[in-house]
Amino acid sequence: MKKNSVSVRLEGVTKRFRNTKGREDIVAVKASDFEVAPGELVTLLGPSGCGKTTTLRMIAGFELPSAGRILIGDQDVTMLTPDKRDKATVFQSYGLFPHMNVADNVAYGLRIRKTPKEEMARKVKETLELVGLADLADRAPGRLSGGQQQRVALARSLIVEPSVLLLDEPLSNLDALLREQMRVEIRKIQKALGITAVYVTHDRVEAMSLSDRVIVMKDGQIMQIGSPQEIYENPVTRFVAGFVGKVAFFPADIASGGERNWDCLLNGKHVHVERASAGLAVGSKAVVMARPESLRLTERGAGLIEGRVRMNVYLGNSIESFVDTPYGEVLVQVDDPASRKVFPEGSDVAVTFEPDRIRLLPE
Amino acid sequence: MIEKRRLIRLVAVVTVFLAADLWVCTTLRGSFRGLMAESETKAIGLFSKTAPSGPAQVADWLSSAKEALPGARVLWLAADPASGGLVPAGGDASLAALATDSAAKADFDKGIDSAHYLEPSTSAKSYALPAAGGFLAARGRLQFAPVPDESGADARGALVVLSAGAVAARFDGLIIAMGLIAAAIFMAIYLVISLSRDPFMGFAILGLFAIVLVFVAYPLFESVRLTFMKDGALSLAVWKEILTPGYLGALWGSIRLGMVTATFSTFLGFVFAFVTERTSLKGRKFMTTMATLPVISPPFSLTLSIILLFGNNGLITKQLFGLKHFSIYGLGGLSVVQTICMFPIAFLTLSSVLKGIDSTVEDASLDLRASRMRTFRSITLPLALPGVLSAWLLVFTNSLADFANPLLLAGSYRVLSTEAYMAVTGQNNLGGGAALSLLLLLPTLTAFFAQRYWIGRKSYVTVTGKPSTRLTELASPAVRFALAAFVGLCIAFIISLYGTIVAGCFVKNWGIDYSFTLSNIPEALSRGWKSILDTVTLAAAATPIAGILAMIAALVVVRKAFPGKRILEALIMTPFAVPGTLIGISYILAFNKPPLLLVGTAAIIVINYVVRELPVGLEGGAASLRQIDPSIEEAARDLGADTPTVFRTVVLPLIRPAFISSMSYTFVRSMTAVSAIIFLISARWYHLTVQIYNFSELLRFGLASVLSTVLIIIVLLAFGLMRLLVRDDGLTEKSVSQ
Repeated sequence: MKKNSVSVRLEGVTKRFRNTKGREDIVAVKASDFEVAPGELVTLLGPSGCGKTTTLRMIAGFELPSAGRILIGDQDVTMLTPDKRDKATVFQSYGLFPHMNVADNVAYGLRIRKTPKEEMARKVKETLELVGLADLADRAPGRLSGGQQQRVALARSLIVEPSVLLLDEPLSNLDALLREQMRVEIRKIQKALGITAVYVTHDRVEAMSLSDRVIVMKDGQIMQIGSPQEIYENPVTRFVAGFVGKVAFFPADIASGGERNWDCLLNGKHVHVERASAGLAVGSKAVVMARPESLRLTERGAGLIEGRVRMNVYLGNSIESFVDTPYGEVLVQVDDPASRKVFPEGSDVAVTFEPDRIRLLPE
Repeated sequence: MIEKRRLIRLVAVVTVFLAADLWVCTTLRGSFRGLMAESETKAIGLFSKTAPSGPAQVADWLSSAKEALPGARVLWLAADPASGGLVPAGGDASLAALATDSAAKADFDKGIDSAHYLEPSTSAKSYALPAAGGFLAARGRLQFAPVPDESGADARGALVVLSAGAVAARFDGLIIAMGLIAAAIFMAIYLVISLSRDPFMGFAILGLFAIVLVFVAYPLFESVRLTFMKDGALSLAVWKEILTPGYLGALWGSIRLGMVTATFSTFLGFVFAFVTERTSLKGRKFMTTMATLPVISPPFSLTLSIILLFGNNGLITKQLFGLKHFSIYGLGGLSVVQTICMFPIAFLTLSSVLKGIDSTVEDASLDLRASRMRTFRSITLPLALPGVLSAWLLVFTNSLADFANPLLLAGSYRVLSTEAYMAVTGQNNLGGGAALSLLLLLPTLTAFFAQRYWIGRKSYVTVTGKPSTRLTELASPAVRFALAAFVGLCIAFIISLYGTIVAGCFVKNWGIDYSFTLSNIPEALSRGWKSILDTVTLAAAATPIAGILAMIAALVVVRKAFPGKRILEALIMTPFAVPGTLIGISYILAFNKPPLLLVGTAAIIVINYVVRELPVGLEGGAASLRQIDPSIEEAARDLGADTPTVFRTVVLPLIRPAFISSMSYTFVRSMTAVSAIIFLISARWYHLTVQIYNFSELLRFGLASVLSTVLIIIVLLAFGLMRLLVRDDGLTEKSVSQ
C-alpha cells in the first residue's frame, strides 16, 4: 500500500467569505504560507473560528481560495474539484454512507475508480484488517460505536491510497479514553504508510502527541510553525504560549541585554532570562512566561513573588497548587509530592522559577 | 477519454439546440407568411371592389394601385364583348406579356375560369417578372381577384396581382437574426457552464430555469396579457366585462363557500386531532386512517355519492323521507362535500401541531391545580392557535381552488372556478375565463402568503427530538364519550359515502329502479377503458420525471448558493398556490400556437402534471435533504465521485423516502386531477375523472360509480405500493443525521 509520498504547499492562500448583506467580507484565512514535507504529519491547531478547518477544506477542494495557490506534489490543484485531487479526507462527523454496510462504505472509492472485483475484495479485507474491523464488514454504520465508525471513515480514506490524508477533527466525537487510543493508532498507520497528512484539531494534547510539526493559527493567521517541543518551550507570543499549555505571565521591564542574555525587572527585582522572542529591545514592556512545572514554591522572603496557597489539587504523581499573587492566580506544579514539602492551603508562600526554563515574550 | 466524451456531448447538445432553433424559426416564418398572405389577399379583394365601371378611368385606377398595394404588379382583365372572355386591358406590361405566354396559359385559363364564377384564386406555379417601369424584378404566384358585373352572376373583369413580398423578406431576415442570436447566447452559456467547476449543477439550474420560465411564467404571462387585449389591441374591455355584479357575486360566492368550509373543516379536523393525540380512546389508529382517507379520494366520487343519497332522486331524500322540495345543490351541499374532502388537510396539520406540543406543559398546568377544562382553554388551545389558523387558511385556499365539487353540485350557486370553466368552454371566451381565474388568485394568494409567511412562522411547536410517548388525559369521561360519539358518527358518514359509490355500481337505475345488476361493470369498463388506459399511461409517464426533477431541484435549492435562487424557488412553488383552472386556461393560451403547439398532445398533459406536482416533491426532498449531514456528500466527492455520481449513489438513496412519496403523490394527484386537465384533454388523450363527470352529467350514475371505484382502487394500490417500498427504511432515516 506504500507509495511515494508527496508534499503539500500553500502559497499566499487567502479565503474571504462574502458577507450576505454585501458589506464587509469576513476573512477566514489570511495569506497562509506553509509546506508539509512528504511523509510528514502537520497539525493545524487553534481555537474555533481560527480558519484551520477552512484551510483544510481548501486543500481538499471544498472551498476555493480567494487568492493564492495550493500544490499537492508538483501539481497546482487550486482550481480542481474535490474529486480530481489526489487526497482523501476523514471528516469530523465521519460522513459515512448510512445506506451501505461497512464493506461497501470502504469499497466506495474503489468502485468509483472501477477497480476489478477480486482486487477490490482483497483490498477491502486488507484495509479492514488494518483498522481492526475485519469481522464487522456486514454491519450498517448506524449500528457501530463511535470508535468503530471512526475506523471505517479512516479505512474508507486509506483504501484509495491517497498521496495526502486530510483529517478534520476526526476524534472530537469520541470519549477521552477512545480518543487517546485512536490517536496512537492513527499515528501508527500514518507512519507505517509514510503518508503525508494534515490534521486539524483544537485539542493541544492531540496536536502535541501526534504531530511532526504544529501550525498554531488565530483569526485566520498563522502564529507559529514548529515541532511540538518548540511550540511548547519557545512560543513566540502570549497567545501561542497560552494555547498550547498552562502558563503564568509576569509583567517585566527590560533593563538591559540582548541575544541570549537579558536582564529585566520583575516585581522590583532583577531577573536574568536566557530565552526571548524576536523583536524585543531594551526599555520595552515584556512578560516573563513560566510553565507550572518550572515554578517552585518557597517560604516567604525566599522567592520573587509573594502569595498565598488557595487550593491544592492532588493528582497522584503531582500536586497542583493554586496560588493567589499580586499578578493574579498562578498555578504551580509540585512533582512527586510524596518526597517534597507541600505547602498546605492557606499558607503564605513565595513563588520562584528555574531561570533556564523561563522565557521573555512581548507584552 | 473525458475530453472525447465532452466533445461528443457538446456536438450532440449543439445539434439538438440548432434543430430546435431552426424548427422554431421555420414555424414562426411560416405562420408570419400565412398571416401576410392573408392580409394581402384581403387588400387585393378590397382594391378590386373599387374597380371603375367605365374603361376610361381604368388607367387612373390602376396607377392608384401603387398606394393600395405597394410594390405589387397589377394587370386588369376586362370582359371582351367579342369573345365573352376576359382579356388584358391595361396595367403592367410584363404581366400582360405573361398573360399571352403559352407557359402561363394553363394558370391564366384557370384563374379566369374561377373569376367567371366570382371565385378569387391563386396560380399553381410561381412566375418571375423582370424589372420594369420602376418596379424591381419579382417572383411569386399570381392572384386573381374577380370584379362582378351588375347582375352579380358573372365577372366584368378581374385583377391579376403579383405581389412583391418585400416585407416578408425583411421579416425573414429578422427571424434569422433572432435565431442566430439565440443560438449564440445558448452556446455561450453552455460553454461557460461546461467549463465551470461543477457543470452538473450549472445545467441543473439552467434546466430548471428553462422549465419554469417556459411552463410556469410564460403561460401565466400569456393569460394576464390576454385579459388586457381585445382584437389585438390594448384594452380593458375584458376586465370591464368581468368586474360586474354578476361575476363579483361569484367571487363572493367562492369566498363565502371557502369560509364556511374552512370553519367546519378546521373544527372537524381539530376534534379528530384532539381525540387521536390527546385522549386514550381505543381505535385511534383507525380514526387516523379514516380521517386521512378522503384526501386521496378522486374528485367527483364523494359528490357523486352525496347526489346518490341526497339528490333529487336520492336514496335518503326521496326513498326514505319522500322529500319533494329539498335540494342538495348549492352552498349547503357544497360545504358538506368540501368539508368531508378537505378536513383531512386540517386534521393532518393540527395533529402534527398537537403532537409537537409537549404534554409536560399541560401536566404543569394540572399540577398547579387548573381544571382540565381550564388547562385546555388556557394552555392547549392558545398553543395550538397558530396551527388552527394555518389549517383554516390551508382549507380556505383549497376550497377556493376546488373545481370538481362545484361543477356537479353548485346548482345555481356561483363560484369563480366553474364560472371560468363555463366562460371558456361554454362561451369560448378565453380572455374572460383567464380574467375570472385571475380574480380567484386574489383571495387565494392572500391566504397562501398569510399562511406561509405570517402564521407559519408563529409556531409554538417545541422540537425536542423525542416525542413524548406519555399522555395527559385532558378529557373527562363524559367529554370523552361525547367526542367518541361525534367522531364515530363522522366516520360512519364517511364510510357510508364510500359504500354508496360501491353500491352504485350494482344498481340498475339509481333513484328509479334499485334492482341488482352486474351490467354496469362491463359497460363502464368498455366505454371507459380508453380513458383508464390514457390516465394511467399519462400519470405513469409524469411520475418518474416529476420525482427525479423534484429531487434535483431539492439538491440545487438546499446545497447550492447562486444568484436568482429565490426567483427559481418562487417560480417552482407558484403552481402550488395558483388554482388549477388558471393553469389550465394559461396552458391553452400559451400552447395552442407556434412555436409550442402542444394542445391536444400527451406532452402538454404530462408537463402539466410535472409542473403542478413539482412544488410538493421539492418541499419533501428539501426537508429530508436538510436532515442529511453535508459531509456525507462531501465524503463521496472526496473519494472521487463527480456530482452526478454523488447524486445517483448517495443523495438519491438517502432521500429515497421523500423520492418515493413524491412519486406516489404525483401519480395519485395525476390520476385524480381535474381542474387544469379538463382544459387540456382531447379525443386523443382522455382523462378518467372527466369521463366520470360526463357519466354523472348524463345521469348514468351506475357507470360513474364503477369508474370512481376503479379510480379509488388504483389510488389505494399506488399508496399501498409506496408504503411497502418505504417501510423498512428506519435504519436509513435514523443514521442519516449523525
